Amino acid sequence: MLSRSAQGVYWMGRYLTRAQYLSHLLELHVQALVDRPVGEIHFGWRRIYRAMKRLPPPGEEWLPEADEFALADSFTLADDLTFDRTNPESVWSSLERGRENARQMRHCISAEMWTCLNRAYLWMRDLEAVDIWRTPEAFYSRTCNEIHNFIGVADATMYRGPAWRFMRLGRAIERIQLVVSLILAQTDLSRRTRIPNLGWPSMLRAHRAAEAYSRIHGIEIQPDRVLDLLVADPLLPASLLSSLRAAAGELDAIETGPGVEADAAARRLSGRACAIILYDWPEAEERDDLIRRVGQCARDLHDAVLGAFVDYAIEDSPLR
Amino acid sequence: MDFGFYDLDLAIYDEMFVADGEPREHCRAVYEALRNTPREEFETIQERVTRSFSQEGITFTVYGEEEAEERIIPIDCVPRLLRLAEWRQLEAGLVQRIKALNLFLGDVYGECRIVKDGVIPADVILDCPQYRPELRGVRVPNNVWVAVCGTDIVRTHDGFMVLEDNLRVPSGVSYMIANRKAVKAGLRRLYRTCRVQEIEHYGSQLRRTLGELAPDGRKDPSLALLTPGTYNSAFYEHMFLAQEIGAELVEGQDLLVNDGFVYMRTTSGLRRVDVIYRRVDDDFLDPLTFREDSLLGVPGLINAFRRGHVTLANAPGTGVADDKSVYAYVPDMVRYYLSEEPLLLNVETRLCRRPEDLEYTLDNLEHLVTKRVGESGGYGMLVGPHSTAEERDAFAEKLRADPADYISQPTLPLSRSPCLVEGRAEPRHVDLRPFVLTGVETRIVPGAFCRVALRRGSLVVNSSQGGGGKDLWVVDLEGS
Repeated sequence: MLSRSAQGVYWMGRYLTRAQYLSHLLELHVQALVDRPVGEIHFGWRRIYRAMKRLPPPGEEWLPEADEFALADSFTLADDLTFDRTNPESVWSSLERGRENARQMRHCISAEMWTCLNRAYLWMRDLEAVDIWRTPEAFYSRTCNEIHNFIGVADATMYRGPAWRFMRLGRAIERIQLVVSLILAQTDLSRRTRIPNLGWPSMLRAHRAAEAYSRIHGIEIQPDRVLDLLVADPLLPASLLSSLRAAAGELDAIETGPGVEADAAARRLSGRACAIILYDWPEAEERDDLIRRVGQCARDLHDAVLGAFVDYAIEDSPLR
Repeated sequence: MDFGFYDLDLAIYDEMFVADGEPREHCRAVYEALRNTPREEFETIQERVTRSFSQEGITFTVYGEEEAEERIIPIDCVPRLLRLAEWRQLEAGLVQRIKALNLFLGDVYGECRIVKDGVIPADVILDCPQYRPELRGVRVPNNVWVAVCGTDIVRTHDGFMVLEDNLRVPSGVSYMIANRKAVKAGLRRLYRTCRVQEIEHYGSQLRRTLGELAPDGRKDPSLALLTPGTYNSAFYEHMFLAQEIGAELVEGQDLLVNDGFVYMRTTSGLRRVDVIYRRVDDDFLDPLTFREDSLLGVPGLINAFRRGHVTLANAPGTGVADDKSVYAYVPDMVRYYLSEEPLLLNVETRLCRRPEDLEYTLDNLEHLVTKRVGESGGYGMLVGPHSTAEERDAFAEKLRADPADYISQPTLPLSRSPCLVEGRAEPRHVDLRPFVLTGVETRIVPGAFCRVALRRGSLVVNSSQGGGGKDLWVVDLEGS
C-alpha cells in the first residue's frame, strides 16, 4: 500500500475516533446541565478542558481554584469544543479532517463508507446553530451515531487489506491517548477537590462501562474499581487493555515495514504497554505513573508506526 | 413535463425535434415519456440526481480568493440522444483523427517530415509553447503518444465538427459515468426501452489500454495515476479513475527515480512503477527538465521516460498537437499521413499570424469567436455576438499586439437539446466530449461527457463558466 495512503487512513481513523469520543463526552455533559449540581458541572468542564490540554475561550473565567468555571457560560464552552474551527480538537474540526482524509483516500475505502461519512459531514455542515442548541443532546447523540454507523459500514464493507489495518491502528492509538488523558484529568481533579466519587460515575458512562460495572461490582461506585475496569478489563471495548491489544493485533497483521528499527520499536512498544497493564497494574501503588507510562508508549508507538511505514529512509528500503 | 414553451429556432440544429416541431424518430419514445411525466415527478428525479452527486461527493473544486469550495457540476437529467448509426460515423472519424495525431507527434519529435514537405510551417510548431524540444528523438511504446484523448464535438446543420482535441490531460470522463449512473436510476424504464449502449466498461478499457503501453511489453505492469493532489479541481476524477483501473493514486512526493527507474513509496518498501497515467501538466512533471520550481513533479522522471523505463500516458509534449493554431492543420495531417479524406470536419479557423486572417478577424470581431491559443476552459476568448463595443476594442488591441497568439472562428450555432428549467422544457446549447483510448488498438465507449450551457442563450459550456452536464444516450432502435 502507498505509504501516504496508509498515513491518510490512519489519520482518518484517529480523527473520527476523536470526534466521536468528544461528542459522547459533550452529550453526557449537556445532559448533566439539566439536573446536576453546579459543582459537578464545573468539574466536568474542567476535566474535559484538562484532558484536551486546552484553555477555555477568551472571555470565560479561568481561575486556578475550583470555581474556575463558575462564571463560564456552558454553551459558549460547548460551542468552543464543538464548532470552533480554530480549535483543532473540536468535534467539527475532527470530523472535517477525518472526512478530508477519507476524501483523499476514497480509493482505499469502500464507496459505502465514503457516502456514509460524507452524508454525516453534509448534515453537520448545513445545521443552523439555533437548531443545535435547542436540543444539544440530540445533536451530540446523532454525531456519535453517525460515526458508529461509519464504523459499522466499514466493518461490513471494507476489504481486510492494509488500509483496514492502518485505519484500525489509528483508531486504537487515538483511543488509548484519549482514555489516558481523561483518566489522568479525572484522578488529578479528584485529588484536588476531595469530594468522594465526584466524576467517577460519568467516567463510566463516558466509556460505556456503567452497565458492566454494576453487573460486576454492584451499584456502589469505588474509584479504584472504576479504574480497574477502564484500564485493565479485557472485555470492555473502551478499556486501555482492549485498545492496546487491538493496536498490537493490527500491527501483527501488517507486513514488516521498511523502516526496520522503527518497526521493531512499534511492536516492542505495543507489547510493553500491554505488559505494564497485565503485570504491573494489579500491584501498582502509583497508578497515575503507570497510566502516564502507557500514554507515553502510545505517543512513541505513533511515531514508530510512521517511522516504520511512512517516513522511512529510502536507502533502507528494498527495491521491488 | 411541459414542452409548450419550447422555442424552436430553425437556424439551430435541435437534437430532439425537426423543423416542424415533431420529435426525431429516435427521440420519439423519450419525448412521449417526458411529456407524460408530471412536472413534480420530473423535478423529484432531478432533485434526487443532484442530491446523489452531493452525497457521493462528485465534485470539482473552485478556488475563490480566500478558500476553496467543493461544487457539484449541475446535471440536467433530460438525456441527449444519438442514433447508433450516427455514433458509428462519429467513432470512425475519431479513430481516423487520433491515428493522424499520433503519427504527427511521432513525426514532429522525430524526422519532422510534415514540416520538410511544407504541409505545416515550421514556425507554427516552434512558436507553440507546448512544443518540447527536450523530447526530440524519444520513442514511445507502440508509437502511441496520446493514450487518452477527449475530443470536443459540436453539431450544426452541417453535421458534427471537432471544436478541439484535448490531448494532454483531458477530464470529464468521471462525470460521463456518474451522469449515466444517476440518470439511469431516475429513468429506469425509459432507459431499458431505448436500448442505450453501455459505457460502464470505460475503466476496464482504460486499464487494458494502459497495460498495452507498458515498457518492453511487461506483463501485468504496475500502474499509478499521478495527480497534482487534492487541491486540483479534478481531484474527484483522479480518485475515481485510480479506483476504476486499480492503480495507486500517487502524488509527486510518492515517487522517486533511482538508476533510471521510477519507484513509489509503499508500506512494504519501494515498488517499481511501469505505467503512469499522469494528470499533471507537462510544465510540472519534472523539475529537472521543465519548471524548476515545480513541487508536483518527480525529479528525473523525464529521463526515465526517455530511456523507456516508464510509460507516461499521455506522453509529455502532446500539447503541440492540440494547440489552437496547429488544430487548423489536422485535416491536412489526415491527408498527409493516412492518404484519406477527413471524416470529421474542423471548424473553419483563421490564424491571426497570417496578415490576411488578422485583417479579416479585426474587421469581423463582432461575428467571430476569437481565442488565445494558449488558453482553455472558456478563458481568454471573445464571443463576438455577445460582446460590447468596449470589449471588442480592448480585444482588438491585444490582437494587434500579438497576432500569432490568436485564432478566430465563426460563431457556431451549436445544436440545442431540451433541458428541465423551472419545471418545463427549454432548449440549451450542447456539445459532447467522447473519450478515445489508444493502446494496441483504439477503443471508444459509446458515450460522452455532454456539456450544456445552462444559461439561456449562452454558448459557453465550460463547467467553470456556468456549464453543466447531461447524459448522452447512444440508442440502438434498430436492434443491431
